[in-house]
Amino acid sequence: MTASAPLLSVQDLVVRFRTHEGTIHAVNGVTFQLDEGERLGLVGESGCGKSVTNLALIRLLPQPAGRIEGGTVLFDGQDLTQLREDELRAIRGRDIAMIFQDPMTSLNPVLTIEEQMVETIQAHKEMPKADARARAIELLNLVGIPKPETRLKSFPHQFSGGMRQRVMIAMALALAPKLMIADEPTTALDVTIQAQVLELLRDLTDESRTALILITHDLGVVAGMTNRINVMYAGFVVESATTLDLFAEPSHPYTVGLLHSIPRLDAEEDEPLVPIEGRPPDMRHAPTGCPFAPRCRWRLETCWSQNPTLLPMIAGTPVVMTGAAATHRIACHNRPTAEDRVAGRPLAPGFMAAPAPPGAIDEVGAGHLGGTPDGFEGLVNAIQAEEGPISMAPSAGALPLPPEPEHHNDGVFHDD
Amino acid sequence: MTTPAIPVAIQSDARASRGLWGDAVRRLVRNRPALLGLFFIAVFVLAAIFAPFLAPYPPNEGSLVNRLQTPSREHIMGTDLQGRDEFSRILYGAQVSLVAGVSSVVVGVLIGGTIGALAGGIGGKVDSVLMRVVDVMLSIPGILLAIGIVAWLDRGLPQIIFAVAIVNVPIFARILRGSLLSLRESDYVTASRSLGASGSRLLLRHMLPNSLTPLIVACTLALATAIIDVAGLGFLGLGPPDPRTPEWGTMLTDSTKFLRQAPWLLFFPGAAIVISAIGFNLLGDGMRESLDPRMRR
Repeated sequence: MTASAPLLSVQDLVVRFRTHEGTIHAVNGVTFQLDEGERLGLVGESGCGKSVTNLALIRLLPQPAGRIEGGTVLFDGQDLTQLREDELRAIRGRDIAMIFQDPMTSLNPVLTIEEQMVETIQAHKEMPKADARARAIELLNLVGIPKPETRLKSFPHQFSGGMRQRVMIAMALALAPKLMIADEPTTALDVTIQAQVLELLRDLTDESRTALILITHDLGVVAGMTNRINVMYAGFVVESATTLDLFAEPSHPYTVGLLHSIPRLDAEEDEPLVPIEGRPPDMRHAPTGCPFAPRCRWRLETCWSQNPTLLPMIAGTPVVMTGAAATHRIACHNRPTAEDRVAGRPLAPGFMAAPAPPGAIDEVGAGHLGGTPDGFEGLVNAIQAEEGPISMAPSAGALPLPPEPEHHNDGVFHDD
Repeated sequence: MTTPAIPVAIQSDARASRGLWGDAVRRLVRNRPALLGLFFIAVFVLAAIFAPFLAPYPPNEGSLVNRLQTPSREHIMGTDLQGRDEFSRILYGAQVSLVAGVSSVVVGVLIGGTIGALAGGIGGKVDSVLMRVVDVMLSIPGILLAIGIVAWLDRGLPQIIFAVAIVNVPIFARILRGSLLSLRESDYVTASRSLGASGSRLLLRHMLPNSLTPLIVACTLALATAIIDVAGLGFLGLGPPDPRTPEWGTMLTDSTKFLRQAPWLLFFPGAAIVISAIGFNLLGDGMRESLDPRMRR
């Protein structure tokens, strides 16, 4: 590997699921790169394709439904999409390791911790059992499990959730992989334990120069953990930037929405949370325009027909894919201004989100007024200003009452 | 499988590692019907093992002078047409039932388990073909299939065992395949795959051990039906070729000719069949409850 080649280079990855209800367009041409020792966050709500992207990397998509239908995954000079199963097996665990969301179900209930750890080590390295056991003890020590010699004989159900996740991390680190993929590693854990596990993950990958892909729906988790962040929506990367840039200058309407739906400690008093209205799109249809358009307050007419590509913020700048100087890129036709970002809504006087063309779903409500307070109240106020007070009684059925805004995004996404 | 998360420090030493099986045994012991089943099975198995010591008379010796005697102090279950002691014959009959029942289930589980493991472990076309074969086997009523096999292979204890085993094959195959299929998508199997475990290793070390519990329960329940099937074949005149062999089903058939004079000859073999079958049924149900994590109390 030359110094300039990235450790991992994913190019135009396309993943589809064939189901009885039709084809799910799970990942739609995702491109990203990762350097040795770099930590990348993949952020997005449930079903946006972030987990599928990573399962596809090591070809663990649920079979037979899931298929990689395009793109390349270059890891350490090898295209993982072209490898034979036995070649891949040698890479899994040794070079690329994965940690899953639910530590409660990620360990085999009928085998002791020792059996599972020794097995993982011996699957890749010829070594006597005693040595593998010694290595297991060393690893358990490393992840902070007290009395590892005795704990080795325990079964998974005798560990708490946090302890099990530590065991999973120990197993993933057993062979000093070059890349670790952590799929929502702390979602199933208590908040206090979350911080401990994240810190452990950061310190250990730091020490071993292991690159990390951290998948999460929690922006708070990635903020302190990662060097760079890819924001994903409906199987597309919609914004890509260094962590610093992304939080300093969140630019995609979706990212702006995400940040505004999290309570902040430094917020002005009584500053309302602004939810992203509506639901993620139905992935059974390839979007014709921007996938976020139905929920976007900044959308233009073109947004309904043309899916924007991921381009540098400042047009014409050369794209740097990795490292601290990575280019801030965004896929958007109508970027929120700096003031918009602060307010969480378009402030341009008289701006209205472009109405949905016939047949398209509109989650925001056509003719959403710019420069007014948001959500339901905002609309009511706007209508009142034009037509006088409205009654909220059911008898006012003739009035075009806007749909109840769905407070889906309180910073943490919920599985539907 | 969700077990309550017990703080590690408290739990580590005090409650020693009992594991899945330890917990299951504890729950089983608290299950009254299962204990009753275990008692019936114990009686049945001990009778079979110690028949030579417990039987007051040899099973095939009797004098015509003593024929068709009612139960008495000398012959607690009476005597049959040849004057043989019914109690002794029941005890020796337990041997035949136990051997035939257990071996037919073992053979059945080996064949059915292999089919199920191949179907569930490999999947794809192998799965489709094997499962269609199993469907065909399932479409023939069990006892009819057994009769056909014995008629085809000629009478004899090994043939009976084989016939009853074949009847059970589709059941075992389906159970094992089903649990393997669900385990294939389980988190820890995906996790092991992500850590580089090979296909055979996943199947043998991770999936099979976890799919054994439903199979063990099925085996226990199958023992009950196997005993009934063996007796059924005997009752239909397809029992062991040597007519002197004390086989419960055959004894039942023989007794029907003297139903009026000697009803006890019908009662005792019938009761023996029922008690041993109920024993395995109760134990099987109890094991299902104690091994099923969803039924944990």
